[in-house]
Amino acid sequence: MTNIVENNDQNPQFSSRTTAEWVTFGIASVIVGAIASLVIYNWLTEQHQPPEISVRRTDAIREKDGSFYIPFEVVNTGGETAESVQVVAELKKNGTVEESGDLQVDFLAEGETEKGAFVFTQNPRQGELTLRIGSYKTP
Amino acid sequence: MLTTQKTTNQWVNEFKDLIRGASGGFLFGIPLLYTMEVWWIGSYATMPRLLLAMLITFTIVFMLNRTAGFRTADNIHPMDAAMESIEAIAIGTICAAVSLILIREITLETPISEALGKLVYESVPFTVGVALANQFLGHQGQETESSDRPQKSSSQSKSQKQKSSQSTIHATLADIGGTLLGALIIAFNIAPTDEVPMLVSAIQDLWLLALLVASLVVSYAIVFVAGFTNQQKRLQQDGIFQRPSSETLMSYLVSLAAAFVMLVFFDKVQWNDPWQIWLSHCIVLGFPATIGGAAGRLAI
Repeated sequence: MTNIVENNDQNPQFSSRTTAEWVTFGIASVIVGAIASLVIYNWLTEQHQPPEISVRRTDAIREKDGSFYIPFEVVNTGGETAESVQVVAELKKNGTVEESGDLQVDFLAEGETEKGAFVFTQNPRQGELTLRIGSYKTP
Repeated sequence: MLTTQKTTNQWVNEFKDLIRGASGGFLFGIPLLYTMEVWWIGSYATMPRLLLAMLITFTIVFMLNRTAGFRTADNIHPMDAAMESIEAIAIGTICAAVSLILIREITLETPISEALGKLVYESVPFTVGVALANQFLGHQGQETESSDRPQKSSSQSKSQKQKSSQSTIHATLADIGGTLLGALIIAFNIAPTDEVPMLVSAIQDLWLLALLVASLVVSYAIVFVAGFTNQQKRLQQDGIFQRPSSETLMSYLVSLAAAFVMLVFFDKVQWNDPWQIWLSHCIVLGFPATIGGAAGRLAI
């Protein structure tokens, strides 16, 4: 590990690395290699299928100060990311829509779950409550 | 005896090189870390595009490393540059990963493909920052490094000038001024954006505390460990807060105050908001502000 200076700027040489630098390089290669192989692994196992989005109610409906909170979650079980996912909730009584709400989820990646809640003023238990996905676009 | 010392030196130097690289990464990477569009690209990018992004990053960093780099050599062999590029990507990726976890953009619930996308895209500015580390604030050069490999530092002249002894009060004011200036340069771009309230709602409880600790650690590393040009001068600085730890703490408070003023200026917090909102906004914007402030103190 002696100096091999005096190589002038015109002709750089491959320098002898210290042990510490080799250790760093080793760890760095492992990290970069791991990221690259994860990306490649994901690429190979990727399902080239359109998004399949489902919405379902999670917890029980809460009532507070005359408002009814309806917690739900949306899951993308398909293969690709969906953008601007529109979640629509409708409360029907005797065949007519009494109250509705909608919410937009920015991005829903493959396998991702997002949670939210609709807030209605009428009791959803006294009618027919439906939650559905209205629309999405591909990014 | 001499050999043992040399071995220890070698590890210390390597550690400093890595910290210097990481510091450069944070300086360059922070503005894009607080940009939601970059998180979104990560959310929907396909795997081939991620690979392409990694390849392009490698090419850019390789070219930068031929002339710059976070280590100390100026003109280096292509093989060295290639190895340094891999190290730069690794450092950039670790810094980006830590930051993304801190700001809760990568959590345990994030699907692996989305986490990878965010990580790869956010690591690009961090990696470029690592490669540019020596160009940002210059490197101290040979006087503190034992030369195990050829090194030619071009930025030594900077460290020679400005050795005038300042009075204590003047030094303290200069510190505060430098911190404010640096905090302004980095955080002013971020303060009016929607990312701040978005992150505030995502970063809760203990994570705010973690962000606070990270701000202090990164600031300390940039000023006192990384070995940028003015580090020796910093240690000789005779302001009121001459100890590294108290200077780091004080400059953090100054950066928090700067962040608060910017938030009020851009109407991001209102007087009738609860104090919790103020506090969390200040800590979230305080992270970039502190990093800017640390760079600002080195620049004065």
